Amino acid sequence: MTAGEPRVVVGLFDGVEMASQAARALRSLRIPEENLTTISSVPLPDGAVVRDRRPIRFPWIVVAFWIVGVLAGLGLTLVTYQVYPMVTAGKPINTVPPAIIVSYEGGMFAALIATLIAGFRSIGLRPFRPGKKMIFDPRIHEGKIALCARVDPGDQERLVVETMKASGGESVRAEEGEL
Amino acid sequence: MKSENHLSRLDESRLYEELSRSNLPPTKRWYAGTGALLLAVLLAVAIFTYMMLTGLGVTGLNRPVMWGVMIILFVFWVGLSHSGTLISAILRLTRATWRAPVLRGAEAMTALALMVGGLYPLMHLGRNWRFYYILPYPSERQLWPNFRSPLLWDAVAITTYLTGSLLFLYFGMIPDLALARDHAVGWRKKLYTFLAAGFRGTHAERRRYHVASTIFAVLIIPVAVSVHSIVSWDFAMAMVPGWHSTIFAPYFVAGAIYSGIAGVISVMVVLRRAFRLEKVLTADHFDNLGKLLLTFTLVWGYFYFSDYLTTWYSQFPEDWEVIHSYFGHYFPLFATLVCCNFLIPFPLLCLRKVRRSIPALFAVSLVVNVGMFTERAQIVVPSLARRNDPSIWGTYFPTWVEISFIIGSIAMFALIYVLFSKLFPVVAVSDVKEQLFHTTDRTVGGANLSTVVRGEGEEGGREP
Repeated sequence: MTAGEPRVVVGLFDGVEMASQAARALRSLRIPEENLTTISSVPLPDGAVVRDRRPIRFPWIVVAFWIVGVLAGLGLTLVTYQVYPMVTAGKPINTVPPAIIVSYEGGMFAALIATLIAGFRSIGLRPFRPGKKMIFDPRIHEGKIALCARVDPGDQERLVVETMKASGGESVRAEEGEL
Repeated sequence: MKSENHLSRLDESRLYEELSRSNLPPTKRWYAGTGALLLAVLLAVAIFTYMMLTGLGVTGLNRPVMWGVMIILFVFWVGLSHSGTLISAILRLTRATWRAPVLRGAEAMTALALMVGGLYPLMHLGRNWRFYYILPYPSERQLWPNFRSPLLWDAVAITTYLTGSLLFLYFGMIPDLALARDHAVGWRKKLYTFLAAGFRGTHAERRRYHVASTIFAVLIIPVAVSVHSIVSWDFAMAMVPGWHSTIFAPYFVAGAIYSGIAGVISVMVVLRRAFRLEKVLTADHFDNLGKLLLTFTLVWGYFYFSDYLTTWYSQFPEDWEVIHSYFGHYFPLFATLVCCNFLIPFPLLCLRKVRRSIPALFAVSLVVNVGMFTERAQIVVPSLARRNDPSIWGTYFPTWVEISFIIGSIAMFALIYVLFSKLFPVVAVSDVKEQLFHTTDRTVGGANLSTVVRGEGEEGGREP
């Protein structure tokens, strides 16, 4: 095996069955599961072609932000009552119902914003990626499924290209870029 | 299913063409229509400027009726906005198989109706240039807003809901923006590339995207419910006859969903016609929406009756005077709302023929929205006109200024919607594709049926 930067072999397949067969063949070549992925125009069930076993943890960030939002709402109302006390006949300075409402909305607001930010980070979405080439093939919009394997250049790369071609892959090529 | 109406017969590239017709270059008719809407909006803005310079005296507002058309429009548009995101979130979570073509149009309706509705409390302020007094920030005024005021709760709730609805709309559009990016050229390509944020559709991306979308849907439902509850508390927290009711929050939410579903139907019919989406939005979709509308006709009827039953039974004098006015001075309002919200839609929506006839369902949805506007007017005006002290009883009728705001609000909503649909995919193309991916034809005896294949849970598949 020749040492060097890992490359990505991409092959286009006509349907899920063909792509699944190719992925099985690649796994038999001891390509680790985390080095395989698909690019498709529809979400494929996990395990149909490849399986992603990495845990998804960002919902906890949403929960944390929700708590921060609730506390901020509570602080906003309670501190306001203390700093600018409004004396109204028969009414307490600290009123609980508004604090509940503002805290609730504060919590939901923070959770919504956190879902966007944490979701973007977890998915790896960024409007600008200067200097980075991401692996992609727009022919997925014609119904193709792109099977991608991160491989070491040299023997493994050649073997994976041949396996994908033998499994019916079209436009099989090795590229430099990120999966 | 008739083969000519079956989208899966189309190949994927043609599918995109079919579903993104709204993004085609504008025609002369489009320019004419958009120009007319823009003119109407500009006219309303000019009249608003006149009102701002002259004062609220140019409206029909006067003691004791200090809330009029602007508050009615606020409640109406916030109500209309209610259903889009809510329907979309519920359909996403329950994975309703017919949801795909309806989602985007409904979500857009929410965000855009809320933008229109949110303007009216600001317009109603009087000294509009001081609207920023509602923001809690350390200013030279040395005074923070009064959180005891339900109007401030409105500002908080609407900000949350508008932000949430816009994020929900945008997040749901990301796969479609990626699709549009790969088909577009010129400035559109740049715009879609930026907004798609590098989404490619890898397996890991889609798995995480699904989780984030589900969280959005879960979060937006309680926000949607809270926002109209808080709008209802603008009224219910006041010791005004007809308003001070514990049932107001659920009653408002039910009414908002009701008018929202009617709004979704109206918008869907217009989109179907304008962008020739007959293959996407079929009679089945309208039948399902019609059933939802029928359900909420009954729910609304139940709440309306429950709200008045206690007053009717107890006959407390101040509340009873308000009810009396419904059969006197405000009878046209009352009769219109009962007819348009219940007596006309209920029997019609029971008929399958009506639900599956798109023009008939469109007409019913418009009738319901007229009814819901009237209902908002009936909530706002008679209670103020017949307040506790008979010596201050009065009447209210909108002036030409306020009527122009009604027209302006409709034109503004239509204008923003037209611009949105020209710029962004108005049908959730990726969701339609996903639906087709999971749909297969199956023959049972002599019948050919469309069958939906679904995995268990969000992951879809199980370990072999």
